[in-house]
Amino acid sequence: MIELLLIIPVITAALCFLMNRVMHNRRAIEIASTVGAGILFIAVLLFVYKVVGEGAIYEGALFMDSLSAYMLLIVAFMVFIGAVYSVGYMGHEYEEKAFGLGRLGDYYTFLHIFVFTMILVCVSNNLGIMWIAIEGTTLASAFLVSFYNRDTSLEAAWKYIIICSVGITLALLGTILVYASSVNVVGESSSALDWTTLRSIAGSLDKDLLRIAFILVLVGYGTKVGLAPMHTWLPDAHSQAPTPVSALLSGVLLNCAMYGILRFHILSTEAMGPGFSGSLLLLFGVISMVVAAAFIIIARDIKRLLAYHSIEHMGIIAIGFGLGGPFGVFGALLHMLNHAMAKSLLFFGAGNVLLKLKTKIMEDVKGLSQHMAATAVLLFIGMLALAGSPPFGLFISELSILYAAVTQGQTLVAAIYLLLLIIIFPALLWHIGGMIFGKPSEEVPRGEVSRLNIWVMVVLAAGLLVLGLVIPGPLATLIGQATSLFGGLP
Amino acid sequence: MINGLAALVLLCAFVAVSSSRMPALVRTFAIQSLALGMLAASVAYFTGSPQIYVVAGLTIALKAILIPRMLAYIMKRIKVEKEVDPFLNIPSSLLVSGGLAVLAYYITEPLIVHGGELTRNALALSLAVVFIGFFIMISRRKAITQVVGLLIMENGLFMAAISVTYGMPLIVELGIFFDVLVAVIILGVFAFRINNTFDSLDTSFLRRLKD
Repeated sequence: MIELLLIIPVITAALCFLMNRVMHNRRAIEIASTVGAGILFIAVLLFVYKVVGEGAIYEGALFMDSLSAYMLLIVAFMVFIGAVYSVGYMGHEYEEKAFGLGRLGDYYTFLHIFVFTMILVCVSNNLGIMWIAIEGTTLASAFLVSFYNRDTSLEAAWKYIIICSVGITLALLGTILVYASSVNVVGESSSALDWTTLRSIAGSLDKDLLRIAFILVLVGYGTKVGLAPMHTWLPDAHSQAPTPVSALLSGVLLNCAMYGILRFHILSTEAMGPGFSGSLLLLFGVISMVVAAAFIIIARDIKRLLAYHSIEHMGIIAIGFGLGGPFGVFGALLHMLNHAMAKSLLFFGAGNVLLKLKTKIMEDVKGLSQHMAATAVLLFIGMLALAGSPPFGLFISELSILYAAVTQGQTLVAAIYLLLLIIIFPALLWHIGGMIFGKPSEEVPRGEVSRLNIWVMVVLAAGLLVLGLVIPGPLATLIGQATSLFGGLP
Repeated sequence: MINGLAALVLLCAFVAVSSSRMPALVRTFAIQSLALGMLAASVAYFTGSPQIYVVAGLTIALKAILIPRMLAYIMKRIKVEKEVDPFLNIPSSLLVSGGLAVLAYYITEPLIVHGGELTRNALALSLAVVFIGFFIMISRRKAITQVVGLLIMENGLFMAAISVTYGMPLIVELGIFFDVLVAVIILGVFAFRINNTFDSLDTSFLRRLKD
């Protein structure tokens, strides 16, 4: 039945395509997209409920354990939110004649193809198919990145596809080596590349091959995650894509790529203990945070600022998984959801500003609180949440990771981690605060561009608050189950 | 036989590095893919596995015929100048590639003991091809050469997959072919658009976005 989750976005994409080509009706396209995303979210919820209650589901090449269920939950929720925001955002640009109806339809069609590839990443048992799906996410989203067809968006899309394809080629080599070591144990069979098979025989896999394979996979998929120093495509792609796509790239796609690394991390942990793969994740995590902090301080373009924050937070997540242990993994998993929500909230806020003032340069924006009060308040909440202050969800997950570092005696990591968080906090405050407060440089009419956009952001802000106060029972159970998959607990 | 074909694939990578004109580069890639397809076919013959025959056929059809045709079509349509325009001149490029090949042997040496008799050298050869493909990507100025470099990298990987493991499961191989084809199509479309916007396919245009 897992196929159902794959079929829904395909049908949605097909409907968007048909509505575009046959009916030429904007509302019909938007309804198809939103309803499709909504149905997908409900279907994922049902599956997640089943996985939490009855354990993992296996269906040939597809499967869903608690980790994939959790990832699917993030994907489906953020996609639904993103699809609704698209209606307000892309609709407004369409009304302003930034592009024609045909292009609007293309946007939604590619959006749902992109969703399909991300769902496939999460439910593939076969690591080869997972690779194909991750490459698919690049190909499907490349058109979304280049959507505006400007010289800069073409440049961003070209870099995106070339850098990520090269990276992912290395990940394929890693996958091939894992397959080679698996074939030595179980012989040639179609299940030799299945993650569940690999996990059960992890102890007898060739350790040397597995080590090299993990390095290749980490660098390969790490390019897609945006881990420094392979992150160079990320700020360009995030800043040039239409805002709803930026939010999806940052909040969901990076998590999907991280999920790819995690599958290999678990295998490597089973085979050789958490030391090897964990310390590599830790290393890349720290480098990413350092690099991101430097660029966050000097950022001028708000979407590039947020893109560098994605690198920072992916670094935090990598550190959490690298540390391991119940607190590290739990914190990292929770942080994936928190980051997706907080980052989308900020991107959406930046999108509202971009729609109204037509600029992404933060210095040019002043006094939002006077003419876009709702956006200003929500941006402020998003800023506090992203910087990791209580009472929002990111505070809990960042604290959990810090606790893991301290209790494991990783004092150096804990110190760097804390220091960087402390450096980044005022930088973000200064950048976003400068937009919210002060006097508008010229007379700007009051008002928001879209009511719908504000409501979407309210939902995200409320979600962040809830996650900061109490993690709902079923969600805690799900994350707990996913945490226990990582094994090798110290 | 297999080692000979694998060596031919690597040789083609060297020829690609030394190509100074675009059509020659694309032709070299086509010959390399043909050698790769024949390599796959001979592995299929030795192991008697029908699915590797399928892979061999697809390699020849897609990478030796279809994709080079597409690249040639793109180059004709956008009337790109024929010179490859390297950042690094050809003799030093060849020298670097030689170094990369040695490096590949050095890296794979501890792994080779595990490989089968048939494929002992192939892993090192494939890794060398991957490295050289990557080198072509970063050392040449034109957008199309980056695409060819990427394809040469993929060829290297394919050789690794076929020789080390006698091919991945068929469904995975098919998926990879599909991805490669789609990637080339998308990059082709972008190449058209870049050409329209910038009036050249020089990737030095990739310099606008920065902090």
